[in-house]
Amino acid sequence: MSTATIPVPPPTLTPKDFKSDLKPIWCPGCGDFGVLQAVYRALSAIGRPPHEIAFVSGIGCSSRIPGYTTAYGFNSVHGRALPIAQGIKLANPDLLVLVAGGDGDGFSIGGGHVPHAIRRNIDLTYLVMDNQIYGLTKGQLSPTSAKGTKTVTSSLGSLENPVNPLLYVLSYGAPFVAQGTPADLPGLAAVVEEAIRYPGFAFVNVQSPCVTYGEEHQQIKAQKQRLTPLASVGHDPSDMLQALTLAQAYGTMLYTGVLYRNPDPPPTFGALVRERQQALAAGAVPRERILDLFVQR
Amino acid sequence: MTRDLVIGMAGSGGDGIVSAGESLIAACASEGYHAIMTKSFGSQIRGGESSCRVRLAIDPVLNPGGALDVAVALNWDDFLKFGAELPVAGTTVVIYDANTGVAPDALPLVGVAPHEVFAVPIEEMARRSAKTDKAKNTIVLGLLAGWFGIGRAAILAGMRKKFAKKSAELVAANERAFQAGVEFAEAHPLATPRTMEKTTRRGARLLTDGNDMCAAAAVFAGCDFFSGYPITPSTEVMQFFTRETWKYGGVALQCEDEIAGVGAALGASFAGKKAMTATSGPGMALKTEILSLASIAELPLVVLNVQRGGPSTGIPTKSEQADLFQAVFSSHGDVVRPVLAPTTVADTFTTTVEAFNVAEQYQTPVVILSDQEIAQRKEIVDPIDTSQVRVVERRRPRADELEHYARFRMTDGGVSPISHPGMPGGTYLAAGIEHNEHGDPTASGLVHARMNEKRIRKLDPLRTRADLFHVEGDDAAPLALVSWGSSAGVCREALQLARADGLRVKLLVPYLLFPVAEEIYARFFHSVQAGLVVEQSHLGQLYRVLRMFLDVPSGVQSFCRSGANPFQPAEVAAALRDAARALHRRTGDARHQPQE
Repeated sequence: MSTATIPVPPPTLTPKDFKSDLKPIWCPGCGDFGVLQAVYRALSAIGRPPHEIAFVSGIGCSSRIPGYTTAYGFNSVHGRALPIAQGIKLANPDLLVLVAGGDGDGFSIGGGHVPHAIRRNIDLTYLVMDNQIYGLTKGQLSPTSAKGTKTVTSSLGSLENPVNPLLYVLSYGAPFVAQGTPADLPGLAAVVEEAIRYPGFAFVNVQSPCVTYGEEHQQIKAQKQRLTPLASVGHDPSDMLQALTLAQAYGTMLYTGVLYRNPDPPPTFGALVRERQQALAAGAVPRERILDLFVQR
Repeated sequence: MTRDLVIGMAGSGGDGIVSAGESLIAACASEGYHAIMTKSFGSQIRGGESSCRVRLAIDPVLNPGGALDVAVALNWDDFLKFGAELPVAGTTVVIYDANTGVAPDALPLVGVAPHEVFAVPIEEMARRSAKTDKAKNTIVLGLLAGWFGIGRAAILAGMRKKFAKKSAELVAANERAFQAGVEFAEAHPLATPRTMEKTTRRGARLLTDGNDMCAAAAVFAGCDFFSGYPITPSTEVMQFFTRETWKYGGVALQCEDEIAGVGAALGASFAGKKAMTATSGPGMALKTEILSLASIAELPLVVLNVQRGGPSTGIPTKSEQADLFQAVFSSHGDVVRPVLAPTTVADTFTTTVEAFNVAEQYQTPVVILSDQEIAQRKEIVDPIDTSQVRVVERRRPRADELEHYARFRMTDGGVSPISHPGMPGGTYLAAGIEHNEHGDPTASGLVHARMNEKRIRKLDPLRTRADLFHVEGDDAAPLALVSWGSSAGVCREALQLARADGLRVKLLVPYLLFPVAEEIYARFFHSVQAGLVVEQSHLGQLYRVLRMFLDVPSGVQSFCRSGANPFQPAEVAAALRDAARALHRRTGDARHQPQE
């Protein structure tokens, strides 16, 4: 009888294993608490140990989230989480890289990075905690605030249309796009987990309400009344055209679940890099002889 | 016999002037000469006028030189567009295409009568010998080989190698054109022969520019991640990485903007890789916020700024040394950001490796301040013994340090062992927000003060790094030159000229510009009563930074001017003579009097 072939089961991880000792600075009732819970659940379901995870964020209330996990975190500067995360993933493809931030971080100051992260298709999961307001700086207009929203910087009502994050990432070709809300925690944990498992750039817009500066209809209680699971309307996530149609309801309908999943995942940037590295490795001059490249005989 | 020759050539875009310069400097390398080649183009993207200068010499060439010994004009309109870049003097031999219809005694040169003038039917000779006017540049090479004795065999060998890939006819046509040039020169000897002395130096030499040298040095140092955004005059660094880095398992990423360029590199460094980005002034401005992030998050990062004329777009294709203030002071908050500067293509190698060493050892962003001239000039470099160049790795935590790991632990030197994602037991939060030893965010003024002190104190050892300074000349000299970057090469030659004039002078070239090494300067200045800080900026930025941190002797003045106007050794030497005379008047000490 063989005794050596019984594999040791990997230690199972629970959501608690991802919870750090830091106490969140968020206001009581903030939607971000729910997002954090969903992340804990998704990560424990995935089962990668915390030290194999890099969790990158920008600046804003939501960008505090990496510090509340036991993963390696990088709470960077406003709007630059995506470039930093891409550098991390390309430098070490074995890492699970999560990116998080608010609507200002992702669609205002850092909006220019989103299309490029998408077109490179680097294997990241990007969670935007979209609350349609600048909470950390105490209630200014955000890029996703509805037209006419009155805030301290738009006291007479805003004059511009909001960015539609769903349409934005779909139209740049994101292969995985979902929306969730802490009003449906199991649903949110499920889409976060699915986004992480998706091989390529995955985007999750989370309708995470601001309890302090948000409006009544945005709060969790109101969301519970009006959220519409995409499955309940018979949406087929592989149907890009239908996804584009549904995405246009951003701001009026609160759809939850997977809006688009490319059923045939295109190769990631990382996979193409590895291919190139392997094809060219044999042609390397040893580093200590790199100057041979310049030799003139 | 001639030991030093400066050749300047200009023509239209299709004339192959730069290609001729490249053939010439390659031949110089195999003939054992030292040489520098600089190129200059009109502002057109393609076509238009182009020029190059080649200075070759028996002794090491430290700068592109001043007035031309040999001027080659394929047409005068194009030649004259380069004005001060191709200065003709009373000592110059002028060679031009007779088809310009200009009489040798009626050259369109103002206020100068060249030493000798040759109207050569260059185009006609090309047509006759090679059946195409595309061989004009080969005729020129033949003329130069014939008149100045520069490596006939080497030029021919280079040409055969270059054209062999195309066709045997092309090789034969160019050989005929080259021969025609040589024969013309032999049939019309110079009144004053200027044949280059032969060298005995043989064997492999390196031929490259500062940007390629910087990129190669980065690979040598173990850099496996480059990200950036194209910008003149640094783009060649990215081009090198996008060709080479994959072979080493590395990654090169052309980003959507300058900010992403530095952001991705910082992410790679956080992930444990040596990483760099490259840019020029405008890009540097955009990268500033993330450089400050690198400082507070204590992450190694190397940023190359190839300086060009500024502010704003300025003059993208010309050299300037006016980004020192930006490199040193552009951070918000209290930050010391080390800044290193190479002075030649050759020392770009060690300077770049040292930039990585400093970044990794002290967990800090490091700026390499190169400049357009060093970055884009081609230089013959003697082989570098890379086994003598040390490479430093960042200090990883030992197993016992990971037990209760504190990423930003207070240590005697201020450097804390650094983990990276993937390392069990090392998890921490890197952050731009102030943090305690464990990386936890804080708004405590007390912790902030202690952390600032740690981050600045850890760089103190740099200020005693005498190996990052080049000192030359008599230690007791009362006169001094201080210079950095490409201007340092001018000053090294000016030093020789001034000493030949009997001046007692010494030179200090800092490779480390910041933090200011007060004691090293103080030691250098102990004997100094007068001198010049020579640099290519309107404000004299190094001079002002030095005065901010130390007592510069009052007789030491700034000798500076805006970029795109390189200094000449003779003018620096002349300014030094003036300084010596002033010192003589002031002190009455006859030893300061230059020999007239």
